[in-house]
Amino acid sequence: MLSRIEAEAKLKTLFGLEKFHDNQWNAIENIFQGKRVLLIEKTGFGKSLCYQFPATQFKGITVIFSPLIALMRDQIKKLNTLNISAQCINSEQTDEENQSIIEQAKQGKIKILYIAPERQENNEWIEATRAMNLSMVVVDEAHCISVWGHDFRPAFRRIINLVKLLPTNFPVLATTATATKRVEDDILKQVGGNITCIRGNLLRDNFHLRTVKVDSEDEKLAWLGATINQIPGNGIIYTGTRVNTEIYSRWFEHLGISSIAYNAGLDGELRKEIENGLLDNRWKCVISTNALGMGIDKHDIRFIVHTQIPASPIHYYQEIGRAGRDGKPTYLILFFTPDDVQLPKAFINTARPSAEKYERVIAALKKEPLGERDFMRVTNLKTTQVRVIKADLLDQNIIREVSYGKQRKYEFQFNAPKLSTTSFEKLREAKLNELDKMLEYVETKSCRMSFLRNYLSDAHTESCGKCDNDVQKSIKVHYTDEWKEKVEAFHSSYFPALEIEDAKTNLVNGVAASYYGATNIGSIIHKCKYENGGDFPNSLVKQTLRAFKKYFSKETFDLILYVPPTESGNLVKHFAEKISVALVIPLSHNLVKTKQTQPQKIFQNSYLKHDNVAGTFNYTKPNEETENPFC
Amino acid sequence: MILSSEISFWIALTQIPRWGNVKVNTLLQMIFEKEKIGLEDFFSRSVQEWKEKFGLSEVDCENFTAAKNELPNYSFIAEDLLSQGFEIIPITSSDYSSTLKENLNPLNAPPLLYIKGNKKILQESSLAIVGSRDASEISLQFTDKIARLASKQYKVVVSGFAKGVDKQALDSSLKYKGQSIIVLPQGISTFGSGITKYYSQIIEGDVLVLSTFFPKSPWSVQLAMARNPIIYGLAKEIYVAESGNEGGTWSGVLDGLRKKRNIFVRKPEAIEKNANNILIQKGAIAVDFDGNSIPFQYEEIEQKQLVFAEPKNISKETKYPQQENLFK
Ligand SMILES: Nc1ncnc2c1ncn2[C@@H]1O[C@H](COP(=O)(O)OP(=O)(O)OP(=O)(O)O)[C@@H](O)[C@H]1O
Ligand SMILES: [Mg+2]
Ligand SMILES: [Zn+2]
Repeated sequence: MLSRIEAEAKLKTLFGLEKFHDNQWNAIENIFQGKRVLLIEKTGFGKSLCYQFPATQFKGITVIFSPLIALMRDQIKKLNTLNISAQCINSEQTDEENQSIIEQAKQGKIKILYIAPERQENNEWIEATRAMNLSMVVVDEAHCISVWGHDFRPAFRRIINLVKLLPTNFPVLATTATATKRVEDDILKQVGGNITCIRGNLLRDNFHLRTVKVDSEDEKLAWLGATINQIPGNGIIYTGTRVNTEIYSRWFEHLGISSIAYNAGLDGELRKEIENGLLDNRWKCVISTNALGMGIDKHDIRFIVHTQIPASPIHYYQEIGRAGRDGKPTYLILFFTPDDVQLPKAFINTARPSAEKYERVIAALKKEPLGERDFMRVTNLKTTQVRVIKADLLDQNIIREVSYGKQRKYEFQFNAPKLSTTSFEKLREAKLNELDKMLEYVETKSCRMSFLRNYLSDAHTESCGKCDNDVQKSIKVHYTDEWKEKVEAFHSSYFPALEIEDAKTNLVNGVAASYYGATNIGSIIHKCKYENGGDFPNSLVKQTLRAFKKYFSKETFDLILYVPPTESGNLVKHFAEKISVALVIPLSHNLVKTKQTQPQKIFQNSYLKHDNVAGTFNYTKPNEETENPFC
Repeated sequence: MILSSEISFWIALTQIPRWGNVKVNTLLQMIFEKEKIGLEDFFSRSVQEWKEKFGLSEVDCENFTAAKNELPNYSFIAEDLLSQGFEIIPITSSDYSSTLKENLNPLNAPPLLYIKGNKKILQESSLAIVGSRDASEISLQFTDKIARLASKQYKVVVSGFAKGVDKQALDSSLKYKGQSIIVLPQGISTFGSGITKYYSQIIEGDVLVLSTFFPKSPWSVQLAMARNPIIYGLAKEIYVAESGNEGGTWSGVLDGLRKKRNIFVRKPEAIEKNANNILIQKGAIAVDFDGNSIPFQYEEIEQKQLVFAEPKNISKETKYPQQENLFK
């Protein structure tokens, strides 16, 4: 076995680094002895090196299960510049790309292979592993194994099962920056003993933690609008929802502040582009949901702002941990209005569908094996609900995911236990407690870094000396009339994009009058439709015309068609008539339904919504605009 | 129960080139009974020890070293199987069919069973019904009748999932609310369509699907032949509905007779063209349509001018000597 001195000589030539941190060497030594290691070290510590270095010394391939595609790309780029052959397999690459990487891996041409845990469900991958010379398995972001962690991912369940099946002298490394004692114990228990835990301290001594209390969402917009350019360097703004990434970035655009929105809803190419841009400091800030950043190794993220409180102190530690890896002063700003609790609370309380819905899925699967799509059709459940139910039923060994040729189906298990909901309830309580802890963080008068470290079971006594409580400086927001006007002007000229263009349709993108809830437009429509409020009011017509003017005034239009109603009578027709008169564009009544449909809202998922209306619309006079007397 | 970390060792052991059941089982005996160590321990021993203590040859040692390097690969395969609800039962497990061990002289028994469904069925009293793929109507009716009797007597029906008699045995067994073991001529993970077909019976615990081959192996004639002794081995009694004078049933029965099994062959009608009588002549026990043995029918057969010899009466003692406490 290599001595530390020999290993550090190699470290120098291979990675250009002088020496290992003590805990890095500690972990690496264990790995060389064929042991299993759980490594808990703060973000930016250098956990990756603990598997990347051994991987270069092993004969075969090291497989790294990592939940984040962005992180894979980032790491591979770096390894490849060091001339270490690393690749990844994930759903954002084409089948051909993945196939060719698998081929290379089989031929022993790859040292380090990153792979999403979901891949373990893929036949070709399993088939291919048979022909690989495997040297080590790594579980990165290992807290995803535990439901008590902040980011439990069902796909990790299979990774744990795999680890249990591996020969006990086969090296396995699990890493995380954010494991409470409870999560640590859970990971150790799940792996089933035989694993050494190495834990480092979690102090980030260049962090300036700040909390900003405000009275409304608009005040957050105003403060950021006025202040963001005064914070040195580049950073990330985390919002609670995808919609807010868009609203904030449009607001910055309105003010001429350079920013870009990022969320998991964007396509892979664009996300890659933004990740690269982030590394190059292309914008003052990237506005994102927490889909961005975990594991990204950018040294100089100078600030991270949260416009929405995270669900727990671990979430917060994990998310801010991405900043300031270079050790230089870094600002971490957390906004808070009391209303902000609603969103995480709602997430927690609706995390699990009712037991009746679980039983609906079980009953369907007792009849026949079904694919995910089939059982969404059969059960009329939302995609998100189906995913949760599926994961829980798998976890409780009530169903199994089985491959039928290329397809995956779910089977009910012989001798399956009864559904148990007690664990759901326990988990819900635990999550509500964590949220309370987050509120405690907002309110605490003592050292914020200490608060986070304590929460993460990191024993220590010192305060950080840099947080707002330690330095006794807190940020106060003065919401001036000038900024109020700016925010209002923004709201009335902002129309959310309706992006529907793709290869399958000749429809083009449009805009909406507003997001539901962001203004009062949603409630106006609700009143007219469901509370006999009469025709849509003129204010709605005006808002629509404003949107039209902003985006489509240069286009010429032949006709206006309107979607025929299911149960709202002539509301839309009358609305279309008013628009037609105002814009002087002829109105056609010839878009009709060929059969009765159900209201779309009774269907919970897109497959059933699609089935409900597919083929039911007919445009009876496709040539009418040429016959039209106005033309 | 075996430790999950041992499963990959078991699969590795059954994948050693040119190592049949006897060789594997003999080694297992040495490992578990003589040396009293586990598989993992065995694999961690030196080549020297493999040779001296366990009598492995140079080539064996090379193959075992290669298998050892493939252990993590087998872990991937095992994880995939287990997550799909398959189970892996090694010969040392108490879940393993004792009937199979007994009938196959433990050394010939497959070291691993891959199953899906109610494994408790393996411990029940059992009978097999075998016969041609293109069996006559009367053979199928006989099959149906035996399946009904089996169900009445709470015996599990073992069959091979071929067309004809096998299929009838399975379907009739289920029709009469009995239990069945399907013995596959292929790896268990290539049986998707069959699982769909018998899905509700599998999840209700009335059908057990079993294979002794590497999970991904596709159907082949060799595997179909290799499966016959497993069908016979899993059953306490064997009923033959119809056999030609060659093919799977034929060679299966002959093999069974060589192993001194009690095999009940349906006594055919005079006009039938099949080899049932020849099997009876070779030592199988003739039975009537209800499965009752018919010892006094020689004349009738002599009249038809068929060569015939009295079936031997086989007592339990003449079987292979029982090896006590093997793989306990
Ligand atoms: N021994 C070392 N000496 C100097 N730099 C190091 C050392 N080890 C790692 N680094 C550097 O530290 C940086 C952060 O490493 P890495 O991405 O592995 O962090 P991490 O612990 O995985 O953090 P996260 O929890 O955010 O994923 C890298 O740029 C790496 O090159
Ligand atoms: Mg990392
Ligand atoms: Zn402090």
